[in-house]
Parts: sequence; structure tokens; C-alpha cells
Amino acid sequence: MRLVLDSIALARPHWSLAAGGTFEPGIHLVSGDVGSGKSTLALIMAGLAAPDRGAVSRDGIGQVMLSFQFPEFHITGFSVADECRSWNLEPEAVLASAGIVVSPERSALSLSRGELKRLHLTCLLSREYDLLLLDEPFSSLDCPGKEWAAGEISRRRRGITVVFTHEQSIFPHTDHIWEIREGILTDCGAMPGALRAWEHAPAIIQRLVAEGCIPDDLTKESVVEAACRMQE
Amino acid sequence: MMTFEGVRFRDLSVPSLALPPGITTLIGPNGAGKSTFLKLCAGIKEPEEGLVSIDGSSPRQTEVGYVNEFPDRNLLFSTVKDELASPLRFRHASCAETEREVRACAEWWGMGGLLDRDARDLSGGEKCLVALATAGITRPRVLVLDEYDSHLDAGRCAVAECILRSSGAPYIIRCTQQMEAAAESDRLLFLEKGRIVHAGEPAAVFAELAGTPFYPLSWRCRR
Repeated sequence: MRLVLDSIALARPHWSLAAGGTFEPGIHLVSGDVGSGKSTLALIMAGLAAPDRGAVSRDGIGQVMLSFQFPEFHITGFSVADECRSWNLEPEAVLASAGIVVSPERSALSLSRGELKRLHLTCLLSREYDLLLLDEPFSSLDCPGKEWAAGEISRRRRGITVVFTHEQSIFPHTDHIWEIREGILTDCGAMPGALRAWEHAPAIIQRLVAEGCIPDDLTKESVVEAACRMQE
Repeated sequence: MMTFEGVRFRDLSVPSLALPPGITTLIGPNGAGKSTFLKLCAGIKEPEEGLVSIDGSSPRQTEVGYVNEFPDRNLLFSTVKDELASPLRFRHASCAETEREVRACAEWWGMGGLLDRDARDLSGGEKCLVALATAGITRPRVLVLDEYDSHLDAGRCAVAECILRSSGAPYIIRCTQQMEAAAESDRLLFLEKGRIVHAGEPAAVFAELAGTPFYPLSWRCRR
């Protein structure tokens, strides 16, 4: 199973994107500035948009899922219960798992954005996919919610998971890092060596790398462990 | 001083609170009432009981710039230029002043290249930037910003912080889930289940939150 971006390119009046590379099974992180094309790349990887040039091949990939950065775009049911049932899930179980204390009959779009994100991710992460593309999965989540989401994503050891994010503190287990620089998808490499090449690394990671205390992973435990080494 | 006296709205209760000028940041779990608190500050909602006051006036009698946590709910007009111009046009500013202010604002925010773009085609982060710039373009006395940074990269967050600090707005009330950003505020309010559980300077509030996911990661790593 693998996803191959074969010299894809996309040009718009105000920006452009070029990407090439192979995404093997594991958890990949993609970072980039606002407006650099991360969401467009996610759409192309999912097959929901086509590049101007090049090709995307999804070898051995059957089930594909894309989580949009705006959870409100995913809502298909009027109430929270309707939304859960649209995923074939029991509302009470979803609410308990998501940690949301609201009536199942409440309008889904009346939830706070963080609650909506929790609801959406709980439903989405209840299934297995060969290719899972998560566009800004941590935005709007509170800190415990980010840790929960990072844990859930980390447990996905099957298939290809690609996380597009601006998050600066809380990350899942990560196997590979990519970033969009000047409109070009750049392969920073496999972890932990990728941290040396990661220009969009959060400030704390940059500091740890500069001090030579490179974490094995991006999980909170690994970062704190590396920070403790730095303090010794 | 921004004050809350005996305020109740649905599940939110703020018996008494006085916020001096500066940057106040709300933090807390999803569903704690942060957005409701901000809507009361902006005058979008009025308390069911009690009074919110900003230097003696109600929020609805005060110039307020507001950013909704749902980026698409901020955008009313087709192009970025029209969106930025809207607060100026609503107050009948001249065409020349509107044009000048829109250009200057776009330059400050580093989005001169976005002016003629269709707002619906922007990325999530770009929509947030447009909403922020629009909220501040008339230099309101109060800026109320709900999760304005949830789709911004670290560089844009730093730019936003710099612009907000130099905006001249006496009161900036915001909420964020980026604890490193919250730590830069003048004061924090930690909300949980509709109540303000902790209030004070960041060091004091985060001391109460040590060991929780809300404690800034970089503070754990401080030498």
C-alpha cells in the first residue's frame, strides 16, 4: 500500500503548488504556512481535486477518508443524534467517548466549534481506512481534546495517515515529516532525523534540536523527555 | 474597566468580575462557556440577568470588533477588499478614506495580495486573517476574538500578536487553545462548566493548572 505523487503541479493566479513523493504506511505530518496549499494537497491526495499536471496513484488503497479543517462542513444530520446515526453509531456512546455533555437532540450546529470537532473526530476515527487525510485535526480542540486526538491518531498503525497541521504543542506519534516551502512539497525525511530539516518546527522543537537533544518522536512524552535531557 | 455584575446567561454565571485594560485571554475546556462570555463582551448577546459594562457603557454602546470562532461566519462580502471595507462603509467613511485604510490595513497584515480574491476561495487561515483585520480596521475600543488563531501558522500568530498589541484597543478579550500564546497575555481567565475557576496573571493561573494538559509545554522545559 502506498500513495505516490508523481510530479504533480497546480497553478492558480495567486499561488502554485508542486509535489512529488511517496507516502508509505505510517503517520505523516505535513506543515506549511497559511495559504501554502495544504488543504488543496489534501483534496488532491483524496482524489477530490485534480492537479493541472502529474498524477496521483493510490496503490493498494481502497478506503479513503478526508477530514476537512472545518468540522461544520461534515455535518449531515440536523441533531447530534442524527449526525451520530449517519455514521451508524449510537449517539450516547459517541457523546461519552467524545466527552461532550449535551442532549443528543440538540442541533449539531449549535455546539461550540470545539464540541463539533470532537463529535466529528469521534465519529470519523471509529472506522478504519487505508488512507486517512486529516486537515487541521487539532484546531478548535481544547488541550485535553488535542491530547485525546493525538492518542487516537497514534493508535492508527495500519494504513497511511497524513496529518496537515499548524499545531505547535501536541502531536501524535509521527513517522515522517513533510512541509510546503515556497509552493513545493519538501520531504524532511523519517523521524527523528526529519526534525533537523523541519523549517516549520515549533519553537520548542527548534530549541531542542539546537541543543542537540533530539526527541525520538513528536509525542508529548518524547518532547518532555528530551527537554529533561536538556536540563540535565 | 470592563465589569460583570451578577451576570447569568444560560449555563454561564459570572457573579462579579472587573477586567482592567489590556489583553485578557480565556482558556478552558470545549463547551465551558468561553464563546458565550465573549458574545456578552461584544454585545452580541445580552445577559439574562445582571450587567456587563465597559467603562460605564454597555457593550452595544461601545465600538467593538468581533471575530467568530467559525471563520465562514465572519465573511459577509464577496471579495477580501469589500470585506475589509465593510466596517468603514457602515460608518459612512468617504471612498478615499476607505480605500486608504483598506490598503494600509492589508499591508500591516501582509495580505496585500489577497485584496481582489474571492473570500470564499481563501484558505482557512487566510479567512481568519481577513476576519481579524476587518475587526480592527476602524480601531475599535474593544476587540473580542474567539479562537482567531485556530487556523494560523506560528509566523502569522506572531504577526497577529504584534499587530494586536500595537492596535491601540484598550481592551482585547480573546480565547485560544494555544497555551503558549495565552501565556503572553496580561491576564488569564480559566473557565470550566460556565464558571470562572481561576483568574489572574498567567504565572498564577498556570500554577493552578500544573499537571494538566493546559499547562504550556514550553514551561515544562524551562531551565
